[in-house]
Amino acid sequence: MMEARKYVWEGAIPLQIHLHESEVTTLPPPLPALILAPRIGYLPLLVPHIKPHFSSTLPPGIDTVWFDYKGLPLKWYIPTGILFDLLCAEPERPWNLTVHFRGYPGNILIPCEGEDSVKWSFINSLKEAAYIINGNCKSVMNMSQPDQVELWRSVINGNLEAYIRVSSKLKLGTVGDEYAADLYSSSLNSRQSIGDTDSTGQVKTGRVPIRLYVWSVNEDFDDLEDAPQIDSWDKISYINRPVEIHGEEGKCFTLLDAVKSLLPEYFPYKSLNNEESSREEDKDEEKVPSENLSEHVESCYSSDDAEVKLVRIQGIEPKLEIPFSWVVNNLVNPEHFLHLCVCLKLPQVKIPSDT
Amino acid sequence: MSQDEIAREAIKHALRALRKRHLLEEGAHGPAFIALSRPIVSQGSEWKEKAENLELELQQCYKAQSRLSEQLVVEVAESRSSKALAQEKEEAISNLQTELTQTRDECSQLKMDLEEKIKALELVLSEHLELRAQLEEMTIKAKNAEAENKMLIDRWMLQKMQDAERLNEANAIYEEMVDRLKASGLESLARQQVDGVVRRNEDGAEFFLESSVPSVCKHRINAHEGGCASTLFEYNSGKLISGGQDRSIKIWDTNSGSLSNTLYGCLGSVLDLTITHDNRSVVAASSSNNLYVWDVNSGRIRHTLTGHTDKVCAVDVSKISSRHVVSAAYDRTIKVWDLNKGYCINTIIFYSNCNALCFSMDGQTICSGHVDGNLRLWDIHTGKLLSEVAAHSLAVTSISLSRNGNVVLTSGRDNVHNLFDMRSLEICGTFRATGNRVASNWSRSCVSPDDNYVAAGSADGSVYIWSISKGDIVGTLGEHTSPVLCCSWSGLGKPLASADKNGIICTWT
Repeated sequence: MMEARKYVWEGAIPLQIHLHESEVTTLPPPLPALILAPRIGYLPLLVPHIKPHFSSTLPPGIDTVWFDYKGLPLKWYIPTGILFDLLCAEPERPWNLTVHFRGYPGNILIPCEGEDSVKWSFINSLKEAAYIINGNCKSVMNMSQPDQVELWRSVINGNLEAYIRVSSKLKLGTVGDEYAADLYSSSLNSRQSIGDTDSTGQVKTGRVPIRLYVWSVNEDFDDLEDAPQIDSWDKISYINRPVEIHGEEGKCFTLLDAVKSLLPEYFPYKSLNNEESSREEDKDEEKVPSENLSEHVESCYSSDDAEVKLVRIQGIEPKLEIPFSWVVNNLVNPEHFLHLCVCLKLPQVKIPSDT
Repeated sequence: MSQDEIAREAIKHALRALRKRHLLEEGAHGPAFIALSRPIVSQGSEWKEKAENLELELQQCYKAQSRLSEQLVVEVAESRSSKALAQEKEEAISNLQTELTQTRDECSQLKMDLEEKIKALELVLSEHLELRAQLEEMTIKAKNAEAENKMLIDRWMLQKMQDAERLNEANAIYEEMVDRLKASGLESLARQQVDGVVRRNEDGAEFFLESSVPSVCKHRINAHEGGCASTLFEYNSGKLISGGQDRSIKIWDTNSGSLSNTLYGCLGSVLDLTITHDNRSVVAASSSNNLYVWDVNSGRIRHTLTGHTDKVCAVDVSKISSRHVVSAAYDRTIKVWDLNKGYCINTIIFYSNCNALCFSMDGQTICSGHVDGNLRLWDIHTGKLLSEVAAHSLAVTSISLSRNGNVVLTSGRDNVHNLFDMRSLEICGTFRATGNRVASNWSRSCVSPDDNYVAAGSADGSVYIWSISKGDIVGTLGEHTSPVLCCSWSGLGKPLASADKNGIICTWT
């Protein structure tokens, strides 16, 4: 069971970081920096490793560091792995990014003051997750200062053991998962009693914090290489909605079920009753382009169904039949959020006659 | 497949996918990146270390350099100061050398001078010795000469004494003879004068003429314009000298009545005249505060006597010496002048102005008549007041001495004329007349040469003549039409001259 988590924590993306040409003041221009960025980490945390590479050629001034991929400024609070999965349909290894030290695009990106901003963003997400899971974030807020520091340190350094040590105090628990126990160990029942699981062995009914990134395309493509470029954040819908795992006897809650529960508008036949409830939980959606929604709602009532082209989590595309509980327990990020990147092929839009 | 199996299959697939991802991403790239960065990192650290070492070395070098430069500065300063010292010493040495050469030169010069001086000294010494010898010779000679001299003087004195004795003898003889003569003379006289009276002659007896009372006007001369204040006869002659308002002094021949000489030079009107006993010099008192002394023969002024600060109204000259002139001026002074010296030798200051002066016969005493009516006698040498007497109740206008010098005639504004004895200053005669009024403060009266008569002018133009012995009027001469200012009697007895305010002079015989 730990193997998957280990892979997740040790995952790192090779980055080739180029200094933007407008900020090159020396000849010859500096070589790009090659660095391995942890998937669970964030881009601003890489700055101390990159800056020495470019510091001699920078123009004079104060540094305001930001990254972009093919012209799209990268939001720094999204973990690196998610950015890679989302923006590179066909994974580009190494991933060519451009770093800027000047001219922060304040109209697109929220300001970042270095490691501290990232840390506070992480803690906030942790609190959010605690609230979603437990209904309150007391456990996070009552965390002692050394624990906070150690937790953050473990995340930066990729130290899984230290992280487990500290985060277990938060009682954010794992979702009960019978499959994990069956695959690797003998003692099933003892495992199941970890966290707030029901001693009955049934899958506990809980809420899982999810961050869902939906990237919708209109045309079909066969090869990922032919996938159209994401050149604006408007093309990505960010849905921040928890998934309610309803334990149904004899039925496994799969990943597909979860996706469908998250995107009921695309799958109306499946989850009509979930529609309203999930709509109500649409509080923290960052970007929900309303037109898209209405379009999709309308189009959903058409005969064609939306097609999920791919679902990426932590850089892999698991089968949609995989038990969701396993996904939650193994592929979750350190702030206890599960980040899902979904590529949807939308059906052909039929403009209704009455508008 | 059961759901369970599907689930497990899915999980396995997921795990496989994770492994694959690992291989592709961090598995493949990690070591490469690390390998790439390590040399850089290590190199970097190597370089860093090198750089640090070099920096340290550099610092040490800088420190050493600063120390060395400090030392250098110190050394440079020291060397500079020692250079300066060396230079000073050199200069001092050169100075001393020049001084040395100078002193050497001086020394040699001095030596030469010394030698010269020594030679000169030797010369001088030898000369000195010679001179000494000469001196001794001379002294001896001198002594001899003195002795001779003394001897000669003694002899001469002896001769003189002998001569004196001889003279004495001669004198004695002479006196004897004179006595004998006298005795014989007396005898003869005695034989001549039967009545036993001894008669003697006085000086000037040959000139004696008995003066008669003048009655006729002989000449009437227009002498001076504006008035004639002073007339004077020369001694024992008929020449009349007059001085007037017209600043001239005229000398007339009274026999012919013609003008024989005129003396010019006086700057003011002539107030009084006097003449020396030898008739050579005329002194005039002038209203211009001066006195003028003319030499009669040449007519030139011999002296101008200045000193008075107001008009000089009276002047007289000593009858004996002809040297002393006395003058009185209205500045309340009486000055005594020495004609030889030409200036005033004595000044007598008296509060009352003197109107008239006259010398005594011996020339030692002055009589002065003053405005206060007193007659005073002064000693001319000391200037002391000898005696004074109240002569008139009003101002004294005239003083004139008689020919024999014993009595003095004074006239005063009280219209009285008095005769005083010179020695006792007692009045010996008084003369008045009803019509006789003294014309001015300086109206002059006179005594006849035989001391018998007194003549005085009057304001009504007539001249009154009194007899001294009788004391009454013996004659009245009227010819003048204006007040008569001055009368004078010739030493020959006649004529009598009178001058009036119109400047007309009448001579009477």
